[in-house]
Amino acid sequence: MAIAGLADHDAVAARYKSVDPVYEQTRDMRLLGFVFFLLSDVVLFSMFIFAYLYLRSSVPNWPPITASGHRLPRFDTAFAAWNSIVLFGSGVTMHFAMENWKHLNREKFNFWLVSTIGLGIAFLLGQAYEYHNAAISWAGSTMGASFFTLTGMHGFHVFLGVLYLVVLLVQANRGVYTPSKYFGLTAGTLYWHFVDVIWVALFYLFYLM
Amino acid sequence: MTAALFERGLAFLGALLVGGTALVQLKNDWGSHGLDAAVTKVLLGLMAFGCVLALLAAINVLGGGS
Repeated sequence: MAIAGLADHDAVAARYKSVDPVYEQTRDMRLLGFVFFLLSDVVLFSMFIFAYLYLRSSVPNWPPITASGHRLPRFDTAFAAWNSIVLFGSGVTMHFAMENWKHLNREKFNFWLVSTIGLGIAFLLGQAYEYHNAAISWAGSTMGASFFTLTGMHGFHVFLGVLYLVVLLVQANRGVYTPSKYFGLTAGTLYWHFVDVIWVALFYLFYLM
Repeated sequence: MTAALFERGLAFLGALLVGGTALVQLKNDWGSHGLDAAVTKVLLGLMAFGCVLALLAAINVLGGGS
């Protein structure tokens, strides 16, 4: 029994130490491809952001004044600041998850990755609450249309990110990744940091500017 | 205490905690090399910047909402 256990341990250790030459050779190319994917997403968000800035600069007052003569309200900065911290916190927990993966600490990796997924879901629930209680709607003003388009597109990215992280969690626990071969986890971490950083821009544009 | 004040307080404490942690992680990763490390450093720095914005919003320096 003990010998069988040792043999298992040796097999796992050998698998962890083994280096896949094809993976080693293509890892940087995959990474570069993923960074280009993120850059294409930057372009997508930039187009909508510049459209918003153009619309914003085309009216004399912001928030704009409606046809009926009343000024639209500003968004709730206090709630948005708190919800932003929830999302930024998930970036930190994702970073911790990745560090623990590199240091072979599987339990802490699981804990931090599940925390990241939980914080991502909390952010989405916060955004749903904000949409439900918003004083403006999608239709009727450039402010509302811009806000719901951009934050909705970002929220969709967060939603996809949460699904992606769940897949990574399952894959990691099924042994798809090893400490020397974990490109999927690297890509997931970069994607999650990316949605955090896009939110920095949106938070400033809609709530602080 | 109003809900807005409570949210500002949470945002203030959270921004200090998350921003501080992001900066510590950035410092720890500063010497690491490779494309993924470089992108991670940039993104961690921007996230820390986001925490500064949230902190300033929490204390009403930025943003004019509730």
